[in-house]
Amino acid sequence: MSDARLISLTVNGETREAMVEPRKLLADVLREDFGLTGTHVGCEHGVCGACTVLIDDQPARACLTYAVQMEGHEITTIESVGGIGLSPLQQAMHEEHGLQCGFCTPGIVMTFEAFLRDTPDPTEEEVRDVLSGNLCRCTGYQNIVAAVMKAAAAMREVRS
Amino acid sequence: MNETNDFHYIGKPLARKEDKRLVTGQGRYLDDVVVPGTLHVSFVRSPHAHARILGISADAARDLPGVTGVFTGEDLDKWTNRLRLAPQIEGLHPTEIATLPTDKVRFHGDPVAVVVARDRYIAEDAAELVEVEYEVLPAIASLEGAFAPDAALVDETLPSNLVSHQTFSAGNVAQRRGEAHEVVEASFYQHRQTHVPMETRGCAAVWDAGREHLTFHIGNQVPHPLRSQLAGRLGLSESQITVMSPDVGGGFGQKIALYREELTVAALARQLNRPVRWREDRTENLMAASHARENLCRTRASVDADGRILGLELEITEDFGAYCFYPANYMSRVVAMILTGPYRIEDYAFEVKIALTNKCGNGPMRAPMAITSWVMDGTIDAIARQLGLDPLAVRRINMLRPDDLPYRMATGEVLEDITPAETLESVIDAIDYEAFRKRQQALHAEGRYIGLGLCTVVESTTYGSAFYKSTGIPGSGHEAAWVRIEPSGVVNASVGLGATGQGYETAMSQAVAEGLGVDPSNVRIHIGNTDVAPYGMGSRGARGGTAGGGSLYLCAQKARDQVLRIAAHKLGLNSAQDIRLLDGQVERLINGEWNRTGLSLADISRTAYLDPTNLPEGVAPGLDFSLTYDPPPMTYSNSSHACEVEVDVATGALSIARYVVSEDCGTVINPIVVRGQQQGAIAMGLSGALLEEVVYDENGQNLSATFADYLVATACELPNFDILHHHTPNKRTPAGIKGMAEGGVMGAIGAVTNAVNDALAPFGVVADRQPLSPQYLRSLLRERSGTALHEGQELT
Repeated sequence: MSDARLISLTVNGETREAMVEPRKLLADVLREDFGLTGTHVGCEHGVCGACTVLIDDQPARACLTYAVQMEGHEITTIESVGGIGLSPLQQAMHEEHGLQCGFCTPGIVMTFEAFLRDTPDPTEEEVRDVLSGNLCRCTGYQNIVAAVMKAAAAMREVRS
Repeated sequence: MNETNDFHYIGKPLARKEDKRLVTGQGRYLDDVVVPGTLHVSFVRSPHAHARILGISADAARDLPGVTGVFTGEDLDKWTNRLRLAPQIEGLHPTEIATLPTDKVRFHGDPVAVVVARDRYIAEDAAELVEVEYEVLPAIASLEGAFAPDAALVDETLPSNLVSHQTFSAGNVAQRRGEAHEVVEASFYQHRQTHVPMETRGCAAVWDAGREHLTFHIGNQVPHPLRSQLAGRLGLSESQITVMSPDVGGGFGQKIALYREELTVAALARQLNRPVRWREDRTENLMAASHARENLCRTRASVDADGRILGLELEITEDFGAYCFYPANYMSRVVAMILTGPYRIEDYAFEVKIALTNKCGNGPMRAPMAITSWVMDGTIDAIARQLGLDPLAVRRINMLRPDDLPYRMATGEVLEDITPAETLESVIDAIDYEAFRKRQQALHAEGRYIGLGLCTVVESTTYGSAFYKSTGIPGSGHEAAWVRIEPSGVVNASVGLGATGQGYETAMSQAVAEGLGVDPSNVRIHIGNTDVAPYGMGSRGARGGTAGGGSLYLCAQKARDQVLRIAAHKLGLNSAQDIRLLDGQVERLINGEWNRTGLSLADISRTAYLDPTNLPEGVAPGLDFSLTYDPPPMTYSNSSHACEVEVDVATGALSIARYVVSEDCGTVINPIVVRGQQQGAIAMGLSGALLEEVVYDENGQNLSATFADYLVATACELPNFDILHHHTPNKRTPAGIKGMAEGGVMGAIGAVTNAVNDALAPFGVVADRQPLSPQYLRSLLRERSGTALHEGQELT
């Protein structure tokens, strides 16, 4: 389209460029232009949380954000979480069976990587409150809550 | 098949093999499958519930840069065959569906045209430019409307909107009514819901013109039956189509049928000779994918003075929506067939009426028979209320006891290897029933109203071929598997299931491991690709464990027999009687103890593939096995649910204080996976009973097409679940597996509603419809001025 323009985004610490229309969603640019398909699109109206990424270290909905708005900001996606192995949260999700179909999982991991960084010793009630921004149709949430609590404990252990 | 000996790999709580890729964002769902040069479609959908299509003007859309074309029902009618559903079921009218409508639209969201464009943004822009001229017809937006004498016809080829009607009677319910101490009537309305997989529908079709072959990428529960459907509708052979189902973001029954949009995409790929793909948006998914439930049940129980049920009558009416992708009686008929469940009821009659309306068509949703246990245990509670009896006592007096089994239900279905009395008593103990009643009484003095609801479920799980035959539904209940031991001794295996999050790669590897005698880490399960997997009936109706796991287990045993025959030969033994394979090592029984022989599965497979002249006489090279398995007509799991709630009578707000379930689902292949399924099923049941609701207004306009309107439970509305195990094996299935994963829905909606009614008993009101919203509960209380009736007190 004629109004496409070249933008430059910082994603997972790398600078990447794409020709995009101003209306193109961040979620679509991440997935289609950059091949970062771990960010999932579940509702396209900001409720389900599957598309959650970090913008300047804060969780945000990639389906409600235009990519052109993101120049000058740091985007972090699921692809950067963990390293050679799994992060403590990813490991706890695995051990506690905190996922079934896994479609909502990257959004939940991104939400709680940020939450646990800021809230190292949460109550179960706080975890449930934050988790209410992510819909999961498979698990009933109980095991996700258990995984977040376990990860929090594991991360506190490492910090101390 | 009565094998209840100790298992080595079945029953182990192995964390899932699938997880690593899914928690790191490396899962591959449909939209992650890259297809170069693909075109995208967007559907033009009807804004009306019921309207004749007078004309479609697409010039403006076609002129938009990037648009390849706009196509309508007339085009699709040339390229595809219609879906004709005409099973030989008494009282069921045959129906026919065009791929896209040519004459009229039948619900708000019905697709009328399809735009093909370079990307999804342009396709959606162009779809808005397509102008359809309609003549609006009266909308049928309720059961009453469907049955009104002058009702407009949803399907003009039918004599009325009553698309299916069946009756049944066993014993003599009229006579029992005459003999009864009292006749208790109760009513249950379950509202319309939809599946809401987190990944919406979608597909990508690639037509290879040179090979005349279609590759169809789609997240689907039943890859092989879907391929057969596609072939039939496209006029291709099954050898011309490969269905590939990648990681799937949930199905819950929504990803079984071949939908019109999917068939359209496949036909377009072939016609345009270009890859074409579709990703449904959430609004389309909520409006136009598939709906479920919306049925009204009325029961009439003839009882003696102790609450013993002498006769039971059921009338069930379902609002099926506009189109039949399944035989219209399919879901409600199962409710009627298994209603009596855990109770001893000899005299039973039912009437099943299914109406077409101007709403999105119904399909099976996790627990298609979801309402069953609420209707049955809700009827028990109604008996207790009317006769002034303890609801637990009424359950106990009617419940099947171990010495009643096997028990032939009035409908002819045979229950065996179930333990409802045991699961009921175990939840009663766990929840401390007597202490609850005292606490409940004490809290009344503080103006607090808590309630306890019980619900015992007999869950029909694996539907064997004989069940389909007896109900007149075409199709099979069999499943198929193959197991291949490769030259290095690693094991590949496949089955016809379609994974949507059940952890098959883990649990099914345990079934193979058990049958063969290798560690599950050496077994890789390959599913979802019809060129790789054998023709099985896929995943639906809680059949994965028994049909899928069972066929893999049996196939692996077949492989094991051959391996041991070769092993015996290599060890110089006359027979394989005293040798076994464990952890991939051949062991020999000597003086009552198993000893390793030093021979491994890798040694045997090397011989089988690379040194076949050293095989025993009559043994062919290679280690390649396949098998099909048809389960019993039906298997049953059972569970008892106990739910404690509190209702704030000032606001109608409902909170769940405690939830306990005791379940018997037979041999458990992987307890982590099974527990996850139990939690997920209960959650789906509670979410539906408390929050979710597809709302149509009187004109058939869908008012619940976003997640702001269609409420799915979040982590804040759901409690933790205490799960008690009472597993006993099925004597007639491989490894004693029974199947599970739907009963939680059935128990939850019954237990929570019964609990609300227990809490509201002092007000003399009964919730007989769902969802149990604060508005609804307040409306009940308002009718009675919100004043509690305590002993000896009259209504003010």
